[in-house]
Amino acid sequence: MEEPLQLGEGGRLFGILTSPSIPRSNAQDLPVFVFLSAGLLHRVGPYRLYVRLARELAQMGFSLLRVDLAGRGDSPPRPGLTNQQSVAADFAEILVVLESRLGRLPLVLAGLCSGADNAIRLTLKEPRVVGMVLLDPICFLDRGFRLRVVVARYTNPARHIAWLKRRFKALTRPSGKTQEDDTSVDPLTFRNYPTREQLRAAFESIREREGQVLSIFTSYALGYYNKKGQLGRVLGVNGYQQFCTELFWPHVDHTYRLELHRRRLIEAIKTWAGDYIRPRMSGTD
Amino acid sequence: MIEPFFFGPCHQPQVLAIYHPPTGGTGQVLTVICPPLLNEYMRTHPALRELAVALAGKGQHVLRFDYRGTGDSFGELGEVVISDWVEDVGLAVREGRELSGSKMVRLLGVRAGALLACRWAGTSPDVERLVLWDPVPDGSGYLQAMRRLQQAIVEPGLSLSDAERRETLHEYAGYRLSERMVEEFHLLDPSVYSNVPNSKLHVVSTSSEAGFPVPGEGRDLVPFACNWETDIESLLTPRPVLERLISACLTRS
Repeated sequence: MEEPLQLGEGGRLFGILTSPSIPRSNAQDLPVFVFLSAGLLHRVGPYRLYVRLARELAQMGFSLLRVDLAGRGDSPPRPGLTNQQSVAADFAEILVVLESRLGRLPLVLAGLCSGADNAIRLTLKEPRVVGMVLLDPICFLDRGFRLRVVVARYTNPARHIAWLKRRFKALTRPSGKTQEDDTSVDPLTFRNYPTREQLRAAFESIREREGQVLSIFTSYALGYYNKKGQLGRVLGVNGYQQFCTELFWPHVDHTYRLELHRRRLIEAIKTWAGDYIRPRMSGTD
Repeated sequence: MIEPFFFGPCHQPQVLAIYHPPTGGTGQVLTVICPPLLNEYMRTHPALRELAVALAGKGQHVLRFDYRGTGDSFGELGEVVISDWVEDVGLAVREGRELSGSKMVRLLGVRAGALLACRWAGTSPDVERLVLWDPVPDGSGYLQAMRRLQQAIVEPGLSLSDAERRETLHEYAGYRLSERMVEEFHLLDPSVYSNVPNSKLHVVSTSSEAGFPVPGEGRDLVPFACNWETDIESLLTPRPVLERLISACLTRS
């Protein structure tokens, strides 16, 4: 079942609450998933990804909220606030409505791109958050990163040719500014990355709360991430492999444009989320 | 303040609608916005919301909705057919009239949404005016354009097996359509437009090259690069187009 919600002061925030399709005896222990806006896209997510994820997870017994943060979709902006202040104010209102509707349940924050950035920052501040699903989050370079870039360029011609094509396209694009340049917007351009300290602290928080994290990196991240396990190495958080799953899909694009990639993502998230329902077997990737 | 709700056929709430009550003026007119499909739905979502808010501010009742299998509405794209979407247009008009009490109905159709709006309006005398933003001339041409976008997605060095590559052949701009849906798209020919009285149609076009199949209709040309057939994801904020659409929606036939 899905219900449109207008929450917060004056009902300014818009979201869709999806209830579990199947009752579970341990429903009060299951976390509620909150999907945070991906860039400027509204609650549907790229290629309807958030809608499908919400419905699939509801079939497993989870409740979910897909919400338009202020300034996206049907939620008007909050004038006079920075983006981070605005997101924090939105989240405070989200917590209130979830508690009034579902009780004080643990939370999983999920987001793609800037949604992942916001999930990381909000996790630091809210002890109820016991899980994160991070799609193309920030990562920092490890020692082997640059060498791997060189090796990949010369051992993977297909990827190198694709890179050359993109460079050629960029160089041959007309330089004159058109009306379009002023008025069309890449919805996923704007990011305000968490710092290394914030990223590490968010993961530490999840470990202390005995939660779990799923991070998935696609071709979008190749400029800063190019080997599975890099995030764990960079963070150096104790017991990382016991509570974190890190996946690297270099042939998938940032917004999961192909149906087969969307299916793969949905299955990966469902498998990961299943650990909240069944006893944890192993946390390694 | 918006009013969201679900409605649907046979009292099954499957279609998400967002009603914008008038915030000024007399509130005698209802405008129902028929959004575009596939990637164009996402590209125009902010613009169509802005348009709805502006029209409500000018005294109109406005209803936005997502066709079944799209956006927040129920169903999967592969499970619905064109006739479902045409039915959704009619149901949206009915819901909007019940909510607003308005007897004067206008439809605003965008791209393939224009085809659906006109297909329904061709069978209903109740629509006073149809404003169309870059209407696609017919279903076949639209699908071809979406296939070209699909090829652009798959081309740039994506590592896919032969089986995976074959699988992508059923996708259009990143969305999978059923065979029946594709067949029904091909049946949407230019007669969809000519079945609507010419005096009711008003086209706002952003390119002089875009051929609209019905001669003699009211037409505004607003030079603006929407890049429908080359750009797959950028959000559109076409202020001059919106101004012209608002003006057209406020004008009587």
